[in-house]
Amino acid sequence: MSSQSASGSGKVAKPSSSKLSTAKTEIEFRVALIVLAIVALIPAIVSNPYWLGVLIVSMYFAILAGAWNLLAGYTGQFSLAPATFAMIGAYSTGLLGTYFGVPPLLGILAAILVAGLIGLVLGRIVLRLKGPYLALTTLSFAEILRLIASNSINITRGDLGLGVPGLFSSRIGWYYLFLGVLAVLLIALYALLRSKAGLFLQAIRDDEVAAARSGVDVVFWKTAAFALSAAASGFAGALYAHFAELVTPELGLIGQTGLIVSMTVIGGIGTLVGPIVGAFLVYVLSEWLRDVGGYQLVVFALLVIIFARFFRDGLWGIARFIMRRGRSA
Amino acid sequence: MNMALAVDLAVNGLITGLFYALMAIGLSLIFGILRIVNFAHGEFYMVGAYAYTLIALAVGLPVWISLPVAFLVGAAFGWTTERLLMRPLYAGYTSWGLMRDEYAVIVTFGLSLFLINLVDKVIGPYAYRGPTLVDVSRITIGPILISGHRLTAAIIAIVVIAITAALMKWSFWGKQIRAVAQNRLGASLAGIDTARASSIVFMLSGGLAAFAGALLSPVINASPDVGAFPAIKSYIIVVLGGMGSVPGSIIASLALGVIESFGAVYLSYDYRDAFGLGLLMLFLLFRPQGLFGEKGREV
Repeated sequence: MSSQSASGSGKVAKPSSSKLSTAKTEIEFRVALIVLAIVALIPAIVSNPYWLGVLIVSMYFAILAGAWNLLAGYTGQFSLAPATFAMIGAYSTGLLGTYFGVPPLLGILAAILVAGLIGLVLGRIVLRLKGPYLALTTLSFAEILRLIASNSINITRGDLGLGVPGLFSSRIGWYYLFLGVLAVLLIALYALLRSKAGLFLQAIRDDEVAAARSGVDVVFWKTAAFALSAAASGFAGALYAHFAELVTPELGLIGQTGLIVSMTVIGGIGTLVGPIVGAFLVYVLSEWLRDVGGYQLVVFALLVIIFARFFRDGLWGIARFIMRRGRSA
Repeated sequence: MNMALAVDLAVNGLITGLFYALMAIGLSLIFGILRIVNFAHGEFYMVGAYAYTLIALAVGLPVWISLPVAFLVGAAFGWTTERLLMRPLYAGYTSWGLMRDEYAVIVTFGLSLFLINLVDKVIGPYAYRGPTLVDVSRITIGPILISGHRLTAAIIAIVVIAITAALMKWSFWGKQIRAVAQNRLGASLAGIDTARASSIVFMLSGGLAAFAGALLSPVINASPDVGAFPAIKSYIIVVLGGMGSVPGSIIASLALGVIESFGAVYLSYDYRDAFGLGLLMLFLLFRPQGLFGEKGREV
């Protein structure tokens, strides 16, 4: 792009060399596992069902933030529709259950497939779009689907929402189900990043033209990133639907996408551990801040701006900086 | 089709289009000069609606003073946004160098969330109805039925749009801005202060959007999320008219106003927003340069 060369004062943006090293991924993976281990131990101390519920929703957001991170952080495709795929997943199982009597487990499987397929199609459509064009297209896609969900009152009952059967009633059960899914998806993402696919995706993020010239099948991998991210989001959305026993168009609100983006940016975009830590921090803090005046969204929006402006690597970047300082001192 | 109704719909659609144009010109200029979409554009509108309404009602100044003050408040917001958040896009910061577009999306998206929720907490979620400019409730001109405020606001909008277009075309600063939009490096080599050009664009853009918010506040009451609707309209317009083109966005605004005014009567009302967004997606996919824009060149 001509504006690229004209933008700075002649300084070439230095790609951080650590981005591709697997050593970086190794550390992040281990820290993420430790975080999940701590989360697994929390029910031993906290038995209050309200706070367990807050943590369950945090894990829902951790899955969504991780899925969006695969697309935005590792592949460089800034979609503004992550919450929409959760909504698609939730409605897939909800509608199948309501109209065809499909049992929840099959419904969740179908939700993964449906969300993944729609993600595949969307990824294919927006293949050539970049930056602001991609953001606007995915944003309109998100708004159109939400409008359809809330206006097709005959089918979806609109904003009233669709009742969905629960899987089981035990809070602890849900807690460990969400934790298990989060852990499996984390390991899958780690495996993906360690394989050649991870390198391909990051090569596309860093320089699409150069990646294509080096033999990366850009079309395939970009579409695959969209489909995988959408499938994981749909999975989370379907699980959440059965947990909340309700599906509403609110799942696809722009504000939800805002929350997912905030979590990823505050935690550290393009890192394994960032979105998980970000999701827990933002959601738990926001529940806590709700009691002290309801300033949570003001605080997080401000944090997003500050992190994007000054701490590009998020909390994880700050933590690494402090660790390095401590080691060299 | 009833002729009188058609004339009425067309005129009212054109007037709606004028307000859209106030929004869309600023968005288009920002895209032209920085190649970004400002996702906080609706919040400039919201700030203007509140500034006008609160200055007129709470402070008690006459509406003819509140209106220019709303413009100035919007311009101040625009300037601050550019100064604090947009500099990394071009001033040689490297940390986001590789993800410049993503930085712009995150930071403007975050600003939008921040302003909506801040206003929601500080001023409250209730809607405030702005005072009308003139106290004439209904004027009948032939087949057209229009409120006195709407007519006055439309005339003011025409004047402001004309002044803006003239400034962009003939003034020294307007020429500088267009030069930077065409080629930032070339413009800076020719001695143009590109940072100042960006500042001016953001001030103008914030001011115009705030002005639109002020003019429409008696019709669409000021509330924290009032900006979402005009912002989405201006995204559609800017894409239809070609990103970065001022005449294109004026024509597209008027066209969208008329289309919507007929569409609301003759097509589905519930899905009217979905149609516009569908159009937006189709244009982005098949004709990203819009109806009037120049095709983007990649080097």
